[in-house]
Amino acid sequence: MTTVGLADERHGVLSDLREVMGDFWRFRELLYQLTLRDVRIRYKQAVMGFGWAIFMPLLIILAGMLIRLAMATMSGGGLDRTAIAGLAVKSLPWAFFVGALGFAVASLTGNMTLVTKVYFPREVLPVSSVLAQLFDTSIGALGLLIVLLAFHITPSLSWLWIPVLVLLLVTLTAGTCLLLSCGNLFFRDVKYIVQVLLTFGIFFTPVLFEPVMVGPTAASIIMLNPVAPVLEGLRLCIVEHHNLLQPLVATSHKGITFTVWHPWYLAYTAAWAIGGLLGSALLFHRLEFVFAEYI
Amino acid sequence: MHNAGIEFHHVWKKFRRGEVHDSLRDLIPAMGRRLVGRAGPRRNELQAGDFWAVRDVSFAIGAGQALGIVGPNGAGKSTVLKILTHILRPNRGSCIVRGRIGALIEVSAGFHPDLTGRENVYLQGAIMGMPAVDIARKFDQIVEFSGLTDFIDTPVKRYSSGMNARLGFSIAAHLDPDVLVIDEVLAVGDFAFQTKAFGRVKEMIASGIPVVVVSHQLDRVSELCTEAILLSRGQVLRQGSAAEVIASYALNAAQQTAEARGHEPVLLESLALTAPGTVRSGERFGLTLEGRIRDGGLPDNIEGVVLTVRSAQSGSVVFGTTTARCGIALPKQGAFTITAELQANLPPGIYGIETNVWDRTRGSMIGGGPSTYVEVVPGRDFDGSVQLNATVQLDAAAPASG
Repeated sequence: MTTVGLADERHGVLSDLREVMGDFWRFRELLYQLTLRDVRIRYKQAVMGFGWAIFMPLLIILAGMLIRLAMATMSGGGLDRTAIAGLAVKSLPWAFFVGALGFAVASLTGNMTLVTKVYFPREVLPVSSVLAQLFDTSIGALGLLIVLLAFHITPSLSWLWIPVLVLLLVTLTAGTCLLLSCGNLFFRDVKYIVQVLLTFGIFFTPVLFEPVMVGPTAASIIMLNPVAPVLEGLRLCIVEHHNLLQPLVATSHKGITFTVWHPWYLAYTAAWAIGGLLGSALLFHRLEFVFAEYI
Repeated sequence: MHNAGIEFHHVWKKFRRGEVHDSLRDLIPAMGRRLVGRAGPRRNELQAGDFWAVRDVSFAIGAGQALGIVGPNGAGKSTVLKILTHILRPNRGSCIVRGRIGALIEVSAGFHPDLTGRENVYLQGAIMGMPAVDIARKFDQIVEFSGLTDFIDTPVKRYSSGMNARLGFSIAAHLDPDVLVIDEVLAVGDFAFQTKAFGRVKEMIASGIPVVVVSHQLDRVSELCTEAILLSRGQVLRQGSAAEVIASYALNAAQQTAEARGHEPVLLESLALTAPGTVRSGERFGLTLEGRIRDGGLPDNIEGVVLTVRSAQSGSVVFGTTTARCGIALPKQGAFTITAELQANLPPGIYGIETNVWDRTRGSMIGGGPSTYVEVVPGRDFDGSVQLNATVQLDAAAPASG
C-alpha cells in the first residue's frame, strides 16, 4: 500500500536518505536500462563510434604536451615520458568529470515528458548519465593502460589506490551531477554556467600541469579543488608508484621544498565526495516532488 | 469503503498562474528551508497568484469497479491522475493506492527515437516498473499484440506515429498492474487496433482490478465504467453511476447553448420517465412532462413544446419533435400534462431528453425546460446507429427430386 504524501510533508534526514536508497534498489533495472540507452545512443549513427571514448582524453593530452613543451623550452629542459604518462593518467578522469556533468546537467530537462508524465525516482536520470560516462571512461582506461605499458610503467602495489580514487571521483561526480541537474530544472541557464565553468576549470585543476609548477602558495590553493587530490593521487600512485598514506615532499627547481602530497588530501576529498553526495541526494529527493510542476 | 484499491480523501492541489519562480532570490531561501526540513509559509493555503486545480475531491474504488472522470478541458482530470500516479503531491487530503499502479498514460513517453523497437520495449517496460524478466517472458506477446513483428528491429524514429503508439500501448497493456489508470489512450492506432486495445482494457477490468479512466470519448467511458465523477474547475459537480453522470455532463454541455430566460409565458416544471431507469434497445418507454401557462395566457407566437433526444456520447440530436407536429395544441391557460411514448430504436448508450418551448416568430427555442436521461441497454442485437427492427424470413427451396 502506498500513500501519496502531502506536498509540504517533512521527514527526517535519515528516513529520506533511506528512501533514496530504497528507490534506487527498487528501480535498479530502470537505472540499468537508462544507462544502456545512454551508451547505445552515443554509439549509434556516430562517425567515431568507440573512438569517442579516446578522443576527448587524447585532445587533453596533446594540449598538455604542448604546454609542457613550451614550459620545458623556456626553462631549457625536455619533455620526459613520466610527464606525458602523468598527463595521460590525469586527462582520463578529467574527461570523465566533464563528460558526466555535460550529460547529467541536461538529463532532467532533456527527458521532460518522462518527468511530467511517468512516475519513477528522478535520481536515476542524472545517475544513469554518470554511469554511461563511466562506461566510456573504462574503454578509455584500456587505451591508457596500453600507453602506460608502452612507456614501461608497470603495475605495482601502489596501484591498489586506483579503485579508492575512482570511487571517490565517481561519488564526487554523482553528487555534483545531482545538484546541477536539479538546478538546471529550475533555471535553464545553469547548463551554460556549468559549460563555462568546465571550460575554464581545466586551468584551476591540475590536469595539464602539476601543482609543483605554480609554487607552494598557488599549489595549496589549487589543491582545495576537491577534484585536484583525485587527479594528483592517481598520477602519484600510478606513475610515481607512491603510497598515498605517506606524505611526499619535493624540491622545486628554485630550491624551495614543499609538500606535494599529504594523506589529508584524501580525507579532504572524501569529505567533499560523501558530504556532497548525501547533501545533493537529500536536496534532490526533497525537491523531486515539485519537478513536474516547475520543469 | 474498506480495502478499496484507490482512495481519495478530500484532496486539494494548487498550482501557480504564470511563471513560477521569478528570481534566485525567492528560490534559494525556499530550497534552504526544504533542505533543513523546516516548513516555510503555510503551503496548503492559497497565496497570491495561486489557484486550486483540484478542490476537495473524494472517491474510493475497489475491485471490479471502474471510475470514469469526465469534464471540460482544464477541469483537473489529469491533475487527479498525476496525484494517483505519484507524479504530483496533494496540498491537502490523502490519496491511498494499494498495489502496483499501471498507467496507460503517454504510453510511449520513454521511447528513444534512435533505439529499435526491441530496445525500446525493454526501456519503456523498465520505466513503467516492469522487471526485465517479465518483459522477456512477455516480449513475444507484446510484439504480437502491437502487430509490429516485422519492424521490431527498426529504429523507432522510422515508425509512423500510429505504430509508435501501438507499441507503447502494447507494453503498457501487458503490465499486470493491481490498479489501472487510463488517460486518453484509447484512441491510438487505426480502427482495428482501437477495437483490440479497447477489448484488452475491458479484459483488464473484467479481471477485477480497480480502474480509473479519463476520456473525452463519453461512449467509451459509459461502456467501461461503473461509476463516474464530473469535474469542473477542480470541483466535483456530480458523482454517481456512470450513466447518470455522463448524461448530466452531456446535457449540461448541450444546455449551455440553449438560451435560458426567465418570465417566459410557458413554464415547464418537471419531466420524468414513466418507468425510471433503463430500456432495452428496440423497446418502448414513456415520458411525462408537466407544465403550466403563466397568468398572461398563451401568446400566438408559441407553437408548442419541443422534445429532443440527444446522444450523450456524441452530443448529436437523434430525434426531435414538437407538440404542434404531433397535432396537439397547448391550452390557453392553466396547468397541463403531456405524456409521450417513444420506441428506443437506438444502439445501447445514454440519451438525454430535453424539453423546450418553441417560439415561431423568433424561430428559436426559448426557456429550456427540465431534462432527464434514459439508458438504453442491449436488447435485440444489431450493428449500426438505428434499430430497423428487421423481420427476416427464410424460404428454403425444396431439394430438386429425381
